[in-house]
Amino acid sequence: MMIIPALYSILLILYVKCDSDTKALERFAENSKGHTNNWAVLVDTSRFWFNYRHVANVLSIYRSVKRLGIPDSQIILMIADDMACNPRNPRPATVFNNAKQHINVYGDDVEVDYRGYEVTVENFVRLLTGRLQPNTPRSKQLLTDEGSNILIYLTGHGGDGFLKFQDSEEITSQEMADAIEQMWQKQRYNEIFFMIDTCQAASMYERFYSPNILAVGSSLVGEDSLSHHVDPAIGVYIIDRYTFYALEFLESVAPNTKRTMGEFLQVCPKRDCISTVGVRKDLFRRNPFQVPITDFFGSFRPVKLLKNIHNETINVITSIEEPVETRSSFRYVEPLSF
Amino acid sequence: MAVVFILLCYFQLSLALQYSDKFTEELVLKPLVQDQIYAHFQFTTIWNVDARSRDLFQSHLFSRALSEVIVRHNVQELHISLTAGLWNYETWGYPIVDSAPGAEVWVWFKDDTNDIDTNWKQLTNSLSGLLCASLNQIDNTNSINPDISFAPTGIISNTLNSSFVRYATLPREIVCTENLTPWKKLLPCDSKLGLATLLNAGPIHNTRYHSLSIHLRPICRNAQCDLASIELTQSVDLVYDFTILGTRNWSLRKLFGQGIMNSCPLADTSTIYVETTNNDTNIFHLSPTPDEYLISTRGGFSSQFAKYVVKERPMTIAASYADKQMYTVNIPPPLYANQYKIGYGQQKGGLVTKIYNNHWAPIDVVVLQNLPWYIPIYLHTLKIISNGTPMKPQKLIYKPGKMREKAHSLELMLRLPAKSTTSIKFYFDYVFLKWQEYPPDANHGFYIGSAIISGHLPLGRNYTGIPQDGSTYASSFNASRKNYFVQIRTEPIVITLPTPDFSMPYNVICLACTVVALAFGPLHNITTKRLVLKVNSDNLLTKLKKFGRSLFCSKKL
Repeated sequence: MMIIPALYSILLILYVKCDSDTKALERFAENSKGHTNNWAVLVDTSRFWFNYRHVANVLSIYRSVKRLGIPDSQIILMIADDMACNPRNPRPATVFNNAKQHINVYGDDVEVDYRGYEVTVENFVRLLTGRLQPNTPRSKQLLTDEGSNILIYLTGHGGDGFLKFQDSEEITSQEMADAIEQMWQKQRYNEIFFMIDTCQAASMYERFYSPNILAVGSSLVGEDSLSHHVDPAIGVYIIDRYTFYALEFLESVAPNTKRTMGEFLQVCPKRDCISTVGVRKDLFRRNPFQVPITDFFGSFRPVKLLKNIHNETINVITSIEEPVETRSSFRYVEPLSF
Repeated sequence: MAVVFILLCYFQLSLALQYSDKFTEELVLKPLVQDQIYAHFQFTTIWNVDARSRDLFQSHLFSRALSEVIVRHNVQELHISLTAGLWNYETWGYPIVDSAPGAEVWVWFKDDTNDIDTNWKQLTNSLSGLLCASLNQIDNTNSINPDISFAPTGIISNTLNSSFVRYATLPREIVCTENLTPWKKLLPCDSKLGLATLLNAGPIHNTRYHSLSIHLRPICRNAQCDLASIELTQSVDLVYDFTILGTRNWSLRKLFGQGIMNSCPLADTSTIYVETTNNDTNIFHLSPTPDEYLISTRGGFSSQFAKYVVKERPMTIAASYADKQMYTVNIPPPLYANQYKIGYGQQKGGLVTKIYNNHWAPIDVVVLQNLPWYIPIYLHTLKIISNGTPMKPQKLIYKPGKMREKAHSLELMLRLPAKSTTSIKFYFDYVFLKWQEYPPDANHGFYIGSAIISGHLPLGRNYTGIPQDGSTYASSFNASRKNYFVQIRTEPIVITLPTPDFSMPYNVICLACTVVALAFGPLHNITTKRLVLKVNSDNLLTKLKKFGRSLFCSKKL
């Protein structure tokens, strides 16, 4: 038996200084009532190399929300096909937003939660509604609560009232609306910003009937969403117009920004997008021009005011008792010996 | 508003506190015969605890995330690899760590595990979350439990029971940055210091072959082997091609995008070995001068290494080749294999595995075929032909699969004659799947995993593996043993199962609707309207008579 004595003494000094300006904070707290955390669900539903642009779209938003402070553990990224390490990609492990290679949206520390064949309508709806298999790992769960602001971004090929997944199945706008209603009934969100970049995008949010949803789509019903430009080096369109301009806007946003969702909704006017960007505000209670963009694209960190000063010395861990290790006769097994 | 929040912590670390774990970093660079260079990173953590007596959650260098997984699912040994590309045994020799293309997982559960199938399913789910790979697609339908091929690499105390091992591959699994990122997070220094700073996504995916692996096993702590430790080996194997690189004169900067900035302070040793065995034929000059030259004699063959110790300052290593390139004849290793598909049409196919023995003496091998449930094989068609003469296996273990439930596995123990080529051939059926079982890109084809050929090599030629009782690459120096164990993986095979035209249901619906519409009208008419015979009154006279009768006699009616 061996005892390792270890003495940690931790001197904890908490020194808190409060300004007289607490009112501003209270106002701030009131404004963001109910909102305690941020999540993002970013989905690319298209497979195959020629849909490179959809992967670039979703990674553009991933890059922005990660840069603005949502941690990887609160981002669910679904990518239906591998573009970065695709043998056709002449620049492995990169996905660019621009033929001039301005931004590598893939980055060096991307974490994809659902990939390849796992991106299905069933998995997507299960993720939103929380009805997952019991042993689903934490990184594949949307662990939101009634204080969560969720950014849902979808990109792929859509039509009037549906969005195609993997070129083999569809989610309809009614299914989408019902999934969100289920989330609302299960208190899985505070507010949702629903963003979709597909053809006839507006049709996907038309059926929504749950409260606190702000929705934006890259095109109205009857319109096509268009891609931005082609990269001759890889031979495919590299990004879609709406997301290209959205990324351009988000790149100019810093975590301590004062820009609002209202400004974001004006991104990509018709002269840039060619399609008309559709916005649905009637389910949303706040004025988008008074909602900071970081309410959806950043991560909210709650601040608690401590009004007293504590001086405390805490003694922790005095000794760790090493367990007794029983000796037994171990052996290596010769490979192929049995 | 300014909130100042100062937290001061004083840690008085007891002098007696000692950690029972050790972390070693190694990088091996080996120029291959052709225009390639092989880079092998090995990060070894040895933790002197017996997993049976202490909980593994209070770890120091060992990854807590991994210890949770292995404790929760009662894992004794865990082997995972994620690989893109195929190791070319014939020209490159043997890798330090063998791995099959795609994802490969094999696990030994502890012998007190009750429900192995459930634990296996849950384990693969956890691992998929840990490594951002689709390992959750592994379940009983695509896993096997081989009897001979996968003995535990670590120590055991009880008798062996092969029902506790599970093996599965996902040959199509892609490997990219999203796998490397969580893999790096399992390292004590993450990728911020030490050799792991060289693992940058861009350059390491621009290679002919790249493989990430995690191997965890219990090992002996002392010479008597009465105490156990846990060994976690994380390795990255890369094969760079000088054609992709654009030059033969390699350097750490060219290979990995940057040099080493600093050593990892948590590592006991941090070493780089450059193999210089072939430096007399393909002369290259190393700069800076190595700290030491080592000669390792193993199994009758000696190799030379230049050793660099990574210190707490920036460093790089560069090799410049002589202008004149020498071409050497490639001598293939003693044992290598490949696999291909035979047959035509969409009804029947066959699989051939060819194994080459270049050695002057017979070699005993075990061949493992892991076949998905959708290719039921005909065992009676199994033919083993060695140098033109039929041959019988010394042992044959066939575990037939079951439709949609279990994969087929076939293990053959063979004695390959000296200087021989042996081919193993069998036929199978292509199965019609249910329409929802087809993946979205069904026309790409379906994969059959690599065949695994395990054998003991009598010589140390081309052999680079780490001995079973060793942990680091350095332990392979001068490690002559009576034989050298290799597990060769062949190519995975893509087959095209009969794939229906998925627009067919749409066409059928359209056609059926048309037919129904065409049929419905007349049928409706026939069934709802009565046919009444109507006498056709022709001439004017009868018409007038009728008219007159109706005019005068109407009131009577």
